[in-house]
Amino acid sequence: MARAVTTRRKILTTAVAWTIGLLIFFPIYWTILTSFKSEAQAINDPPLFFFFDWTLENYSVVQDRSDYMRFLWNSVILAGGSTIIGVLVGVPAAWSMAFVPSKRTKDILLWMLSTKMLPAVGVLYPISLLFVQFGLLDTRIGLIMVLMLINLPIIVWMLYTYFKEIPVDILEAARMDGASLRQEILFVLTPMAVPGIASTMLLNFILAWNEAFWTLNLTAANAGPLTAFIASYSSPEGLFFAKLSAASTMAIAPILILGWFSQKQLVRGLTFGAVK
Amino acid sequence: MRLLRNYVPQLTLLPSLILVAITVYGFIALTMVLSLTRSKMLPRFDRWEGFSNYLKVWNHPRWEVALENFAIFGILYIGGTLLIGLVLAIFLDQRIRIEGSLRTIYLYPMALSFIVTGVAWQWIMSPDLGLERAFHIWGWESFRFDWIKQSDLAIYCVVIAGVWQASGFVMALFLAALRGVNQEILSAARMDGASGPSIYWHIIIPALRPAFLTAIVVQGHLAIKSYDLVVALTRGGPGFSTELPSTFMYEFTFSRNEMALGASSAVMMLVLVMVLIVPYLYSELRNER
Repeated sequence: MARAVTTRRKILTTAVAWTIGLLIFFPIYWTILTSFKSEAQAINDPPLFFFFDWTLENYSVVQDRSDYMRFLWNSVILAGGSTIIGVLVGVPAAWSMAFVPSKRTKDILLWMLSTKMLPAVGVLYPISLLFVQFGLLDTRIGLIMVLMLINLPIIVWMLYTYFKEIPVDILEAARMDGASLRQEILFVLTPMAVPGIASTMLLNFILAWNEAFWTLNLTAANAGPLTAFIASYSSPEGLFFAKLSAASTMAIAPILILGWFSQKQLVRGLTFGAVK
Repeated sequence: MRLLRNYVPQLTLLPSLILVAITVYGFIALTMVLSLTRSKMLPRFDRWEGFSNYLKVWNHPRWEVALENFAIFGILYIGGTLLIGLVLAIFLDQRIRIEGSLRTIYLYPMALSFIVTGVAWQWIMSPDLGLERAFHIWGWESFRFDWIKQSDLAIYCVVIAGVWQASGFVMALFLAALRGVNQEILSAARMDGASGPSIYWHIIIPALRPAFLTAIVVQGHLAIKSYDLVVALTRGGPGFSTELPSTFMYEFTFSRNEMALGASSAVMMLVLVMVLIVPYLYSELRNER
């Protein structure tokens, strides 16, 4: 839709675009800002937008009071573990569907993706029953398995869309030259598949990091990640607002930073491959 | 080796298929069986209740509120994000290129857990701390924004926060699709003297159909997952005015020890979603093939 536009209009729309961007970013900005205020300043009258006494006190209090580092570590392990296992399971499936498609491939793919539409409450009780039976409640390994299972359809779907873009001709050329299946996978396919796998892993890491339904319902103090940690604080009205903001900031900071340095993959991942 | 080549594809697909099948069908079947029993705190399969659990849930006042909220939230959330996303995309597309950092900012809320950003929203929506007070200080004394404290309006606060989180994402989807609209058709239409609005209505929006599909599928999936939003923002309150089917199920199964009722509500939720979404998916995707 490129059309010649006047400079003034361009400036105006750029300004509007950034204003919308600021509006969208405001709650995040406010959380980060509040985390550096004292509790009194956090509920100050009028609201303080920039000029106040910046303090790191909230961060040290949060760490002292509820061992933030353990929750952070749990988040890393849960998101990382479920991502790695999910990709290990998903790569063969996506590979098979992308390179050796059958008549049913599209149906299988759709069916897998459609299961993501089903509400999680439908399987909440059976899974928690299994957790009780096998002593998995509030353990990392149990939650890693659950997170892996619920995100597996997305992993397979994402990998499939990436693998689809790899030109089949190259694989056939390699086969002609006498490459074995193992060589074909190791030396031809893998180098071309790595970027797609990396994007998929990034997206899945973020999804697992943010997962709240399962982590809130299946963990307590022991294996709880950051989402559970923040939800465990009761209503923030009054006293704990700045502390809660500090805790929130620490929970979103890794994603904000990770996202900034991998903008392309983030955009593509979050839009499930639709935006390149 | 040839034998291997023939069977490897099927074999490699198998683990994922089995895992998804077990988590979906196996566990849903168990929930269905439970919903027909008289289980309270622990599951028991020796006394059968039949379908009376479903009637009990169906007639429960809280379930009525939950369903109503689910409808309000689902419709306004999906409709709102699509509308705002589309308008923003059309507006931004013609004038400037939203690349790099600005696009990432638009997408950021989508990458964050609502459990976390919900903290900021609680502040914004609290009449004692947030928007309402800010406007009072800036001189607009009669400004009122205390929806979150009112039981008939609190669900709309959940909608607002949800729309905030996903609008930028929908916009990014539509922006990408707008770029893909065939330029030749557009200039041909302009040569024939088609006006701006009619170009949008007759050419561009129909061309965005695949983007609509993606957006509706992703947003629908998020609307069903809205549990986080409610937990972060209202915890189902005031009272049980922002109850959703998922919070209902959780409350009855785990807090009130009415497992059979909880299971019934979960099954009803499943059926509801399937009735709503499956026909749409199939009609759209059949065309795509």
